[in-house]
Amino acid sequence: MVRTESDAALVRRVLGGDTGAYAGLVARYRDRLGRYAVRMLGNAADAEEAVQDAFVRGYRSLVRCVPPERFGAWLFAILVNRCRTIGAQRARRERTVVLEEAAVERASVGHTAADTAWRDAIAWALAQLTTEQREAFVLKYVEELSYEEMSELTGAGVSALKMRVARAREELRHLLSEELHG
Amino acid sequence: MDERDPLIDRAIETLRESVRLDPGLDRRVMEEVERAPAPRVGARRWWSAWEWLRRGRTVTVSPLGGLAAAAALAALLLMGRWGAAWVEDTAAPTEVLEAATVQFVLVAPGASMVTVVGDFNDWVATATPLRQASGDGMWTVTVPLPPGRYRYGFLVDGTEWVRDPSTPPALDDDFGRPNSVVTVRG
Repeated sequence: MVRTESDAALVRRVLGGDTGAYAGLVARYRDRLGRYAVRMLGNAADAEEAVQDAFVRGYRSLVRCVPPERFGAWLFAILVNRCRTIGAQRARRERTVVLEEAAVERASVGHTAADTAWRDAIAWALAQLTTEQREAFVLKYVEELSYEEMSELTGAGVSALKMRVARAREELRHLLSEELHG
Repeated sequence: MDERDPLIDRAIETLRESVRLDPGLDRRVMEEVERAPAPRVGARRWWSAWEWLRRGRTVTVSPLGGLAAAAALAALLLMGRWGAAWVEDTAAPTEVLEAATVQFVLVAPGASMVTVVGDFNDWVATATPLRQASGDGMWTVTVPLPPGRYRYGFLVDGTEWVRDPSTPPALDDDFGRPNSVVTVRG
């Protein structure tokens, strides 16, 4: 029988001194956090830095995870902020947002050249959006959050978020059409 | 706004695919976690507060301040769900307070339970419940606080996090949740 402990139970164990229980939370959320970070930051190295930061900050501040049942949403909010910070630092360093080669290589496994070109086009187009548009689009369509959840997470109003999503869609449509069809 | 678009739909489908992170990530996280100080659940802050209060001081409530506080309460009631933290001798909600006793207020009609959660109670969800005096939706609690800067928020019915809109947000907060800040001067 497989017994799965709830997030709240794991959080309570960690707060009770069982540091190893945090590994259960890391394993449970790494993929979701990793996907968001890669989509937002565009390369695996920055994404892994953001995810690692989020987990460690989450651990240090675990007493502030209230109620513990909401650990997943709470941790995700930390990641969203880490991605903003790392993205801003990267912008200051004037680095170009590109797919890291290793990430391309991993993503390419089992894919045809056409698949790879499509994935590259999406990553490129996503990177052309403003941070706010990209964040809104990914939260809405990749993470499938409601506008109310997005508002709570980002601090932006629902109307502003709807506008960002609409502009992101419009921009992506334009960029992808141009990239794919010249 | 969310009209179907085959190109966008295809992009979304691709973006929802899982990504592969370095398999060593979990190990690196746990190594760092093992080195970090353990997250503590304790009463150190409460003990500090008690020690500070035991030294003795007088908090005065002026008639003018009381009237102004009553006016502030009325304003809060008119605004529906609204929260505020202030001290007994302070006329209006403000982020910098100068007394030992801070009153937290949230107007939350329909709520069955409200707690205030923050730095001063180690973010324990149930440590500081607010009470509703007359069923009018106004929840209050008075908390003794030593001088310092405190981040806090309200938890409604154990699930809904509400920032106190009458005080500044904690701009240095990196944890996503919208918190407020109250500063008590020494």
